[in-house]
Amino acid sequence: MILWGSVALFLIVGLLQALQAGGHLDLGFRNWRPTLYAYALMSASLCWAQVLIRGEQGKRVLFVLPAVLFVLSLAIIPLVFGLIIAFSNWNLSSPLGRQFNGLDNVRQMWGDPFYWNALRNMVWYCLAILVEYAVAFGLALLLNAEIRARKFFRVAFLLPLMLSPVAVSWMIGKSMTEIRFGPIARLARALGWDNPSFFGTPEMARTTIMLMDAWTYIPFMMIMLLAGLQAIPKELQEAAKVDGARGWRAFWEVTFPLMLPVSVTALMIRLIFKLKLADIVINVTSGGPGGATDSVTSFIFREYRDRSNVGYGTLLAIVYLVFIIIAMLGLLKLADRWLRPQT
Amino acid sequence: MKPGLYDMAARQAMTRRRLMQGVAAMGGAMAMSGLGLRPAAAEDNLRAQILAIPGVGAGSPTDADWQKVGELCLGPTRANVAEGEFAGIELTFMGLNNQNLHNVLFRGFLKPWEAYTGAKINWIDLAQADYNPRLQQAIATGTVDFDIIEMGAPFEGDTAGKGLLDPMPDWVKDQIEADDLVAYLQPPVGTWDGKTYRITIDGDCHTLAFRKDYFGDGGIGGAEMPRHWEDVNAMSLALKGQTDPLTGLPAYGFLDPLKGWGGFGFYFLEDRATAYVKHPSDPAWLFDPDTMKPRVNNPGWVQAIQDVMDLNAAGAYPADQINADPGTTAFQQFLAGTGAALTWWGDVGSNARTSDTSVVGDVVGFDINPGAKRVYNHAAGAWEETENFAPNLAYLGWGVYVTNRVSGDEAKRKAAWSAAAHLGGKDISLWMAAYPSGFQPYRNSHFIFEEWEAAGYDRAFVEDYLGSNRDSYNHPNAAIEPRIPGIFQYYSVAEDELAKGFAGQYGSAQETADAIAAAWEKITDQIGRDSQIALYKASLGM
Repeated sequence: MILWGSVALFLIVGLLQALQAGGHLDLGFRNWRPTLYAYALMSASLCWAQVLIRGEQGKRVLFVLPAVLFVLSLAIIPLVFGLIIAFSNWNLSSPLGRQFNGLDNVRQMWGDPFYWNALRNMVWYCLAILVEYAVAFGLALLLNAEIRARKFFRVAFLLPLMLSPVAVSWMIGKSMTEIRFGPIARLARALGWDNPSFFGTPEMARTTIMLMDAWTYIPFMMIMLLAGLQAIPKELQEAAKVDGARGWRAFWEVTFPLMLPVSVTALMIRLIFKLKLADIVINVTSGGPGGATDSVTSFIFREYRDRSNVGYGTLLAIVYLVFIIIAMLGLLKLADRWLRPQT
Repeated sequence: MKPGLYDMAARQAMTRRRLMQGVAAMGGAMAMSGLGLRPAAAEDNLRAQILAIPGVGAGSPTDADWQKVGELCLGPTRANVAEGEFAGIELTFMGLNNQNLHNVLFRGFLKPWEAYTGAKINWIDLAQADYNPRLQQAIATGTVDFDIIEMGAPFEGDTAGKGLLDPMPDWVKDQIEADDLVAYLQPPVGTWDGKTYRITIDGDCHTLAFRKDYFGDGGIGGAEMPRHWEDVNAMSLALKGQTDPLTGLPAYGFLDPLKGWGGFGFYFLEDRATAYVKHPSDPAWLFDPDTMKPRVNNPGWVQAIQDVMDLNAAGAYPADQINADPGTTAFQQFLAGTGAALTWWGDVGSNARTSDTSVVGDVVGFDINPGAKRVYNHAAGAWEETENFAPNLAYLGWGVYVTNRVSGDEAKRKAAWSAAAHLGGKDISLWMAAYPSGFQPYRNSHFIFEEWEAAGYDRAFVEDYLGSNRDSYNHPNAAIEPRIPGIFQYYSVAEDELAKGFAGQYGSAQETADAIAAAWEKITDQIGRDSQIALYKASLGM
């Protein structure tokens, strides 16, 4: 009774507000809060009803149900709204407001050289992860070895990760690479580069952005790999030594295969971070020169924030999300196949 | 006044000798008033009195000072509003809190007004970066929750154009003495479809800042700072390979920002283009008012883009200029001793001698933006070989507006306009122009240099720096910002296309300009061509 009553209340209030929003009624609602409150009441009633109707079983459901409702409210419902907006012509400056425009945004995306350019750049940025991985693995091996001041280096190597990418943008991208007085520029001149330029050409600018991003996030991969290395049983490596495997062979035949699961996890998480690359690009190059450093997120940021193009910007974000999901699922499948023969 | 400008002026002004000069001058001015040589003696006294709060060089003004000034400037309010007339009325004021100025000052100024009228003001303070999205979302979602708003004129298209503002009553025009505004802030700025909506509290324009040590006898830049863009480019090319007289580092000429800046970077291409395309016989220079067809790819605009491309191709800019936005050209380059000249807002002038990182304070000079030796007449479709100057009045400054939330309640409406008029009053505005407030001078009465000198300011500085602003404001062919919805969308997308052009991804300046025009056409179609045409014409007063 309580449950169905609250559901009915939610539906009625939502319907009345929708009718008012559509201009069919004027009930004096000033905002959508009544529907929100009715939804909250329905959610609470649903939880309460579980206990009342199902008893002990209902109490168990109560452990999960609030989280389900939370995800539904803050992820699924907004995603549905996002989809509605993605297929709309909605420029905040337009007096016409939001208008459904079918597949027009998809067609615009298809012919948008800035978006495809940003996607191409993302391929380069993502490929750089392999280099970052190699460096991170090397550093992890170094810190796993019996070297002096090992604890100090572990903390020191982690410091870049603790910095905000925005701070990195200003410290390195704006100050240290400043061509006249920046210490990196001075060093470059001292090393014989007469007129150092870190953002003057597309290739150089993209490389500099990659280096700054790598400097920030290599410690993250390094610490994950270091944890993996320390989890490898010492007996295995000692047994390999007894069998005559040393140096490169010991690493390639024993350590690397054992590290594959950790490596795949580190690479996947790093990939997710990389696909969100925006702050350094926005702050340092604004995507230039000529779009050479633009990431998909930084382009969407300009489209959405600077141009108030909410409909098209949302579509780009949704399509990017689909790309990411497909790519991640594909990579996980590949990794699964790759790892299976090892077990 | 910009805070940096105030600091600089205060440092220069407050020697003991100058203080005595100031006191003597002020005494003289008051004595003259007493002799009846000035018709508005009481007003002069008031202006001198508020300029003495807290006194130039006496530290930053405090809330107590703002309240004192607000109390002293209540005269016009008392003339139009009875004591306690607005008791029980609550108003909401949305504005900025940049550098602890703007709304922070307004609170102090309006406290005596609240005490006198009985109204209460609730405040919505926003950081600059939050302002634009907050306003746009409020407009788009129909959730305007403020009665009074501090807003830039470029947003008039988004607000007045959508009927969200309340037209100014006639008594407010009289109270604020609107005739005193400098020429370019007179209508059509602040008006929409013939109705006035804005109480101006600020002025904005780009002016030329240049290094005096580059020019003159034996100067590496020539006898004097070139006055035309053609010569500015020639000077920049000739400086290549020379040494900066101040820093001993490589010398460079004019500094163009080649990277976008959230739309604001486009103003700097406009600085060059207006000289070529703003014809004295035509108020429009960005779009055709009848069709909204962009003019950005006409020969004049293409010449401006070509000028920048020429310097870029010749290596006449510092390395990495392709990644230099206007913030870089002003604060990391020009003020740090790189480059002979640039165009910018007042901040360069205000920072030149006060910023710790500036090295050009003693060698900086100011003028209106350069002109061109020929101008493109869009109507005739041909170049005219005649000298043309067209200062770029970029952004048009801040104003106070009243929203239509109060339109149905006459008492509340009067209260909102009274509060806004108090902030835009003639005398209180002089104080805001002279002390840190975030606002630049914007009235003809702000350029009475004797008042500034009497208050303790350095006359030479005031004449040079503020003179360049005054001459830009009052220029008969000044290029005025089109106040249409989404103007920054046009600028932002132009920045993206220009970046491609400057990076060599388009075959020519014309191709770059055509790409911008095509992108602008899309935006116009998306926002609505007919409504844009109507609003553009309204903004031009056509």
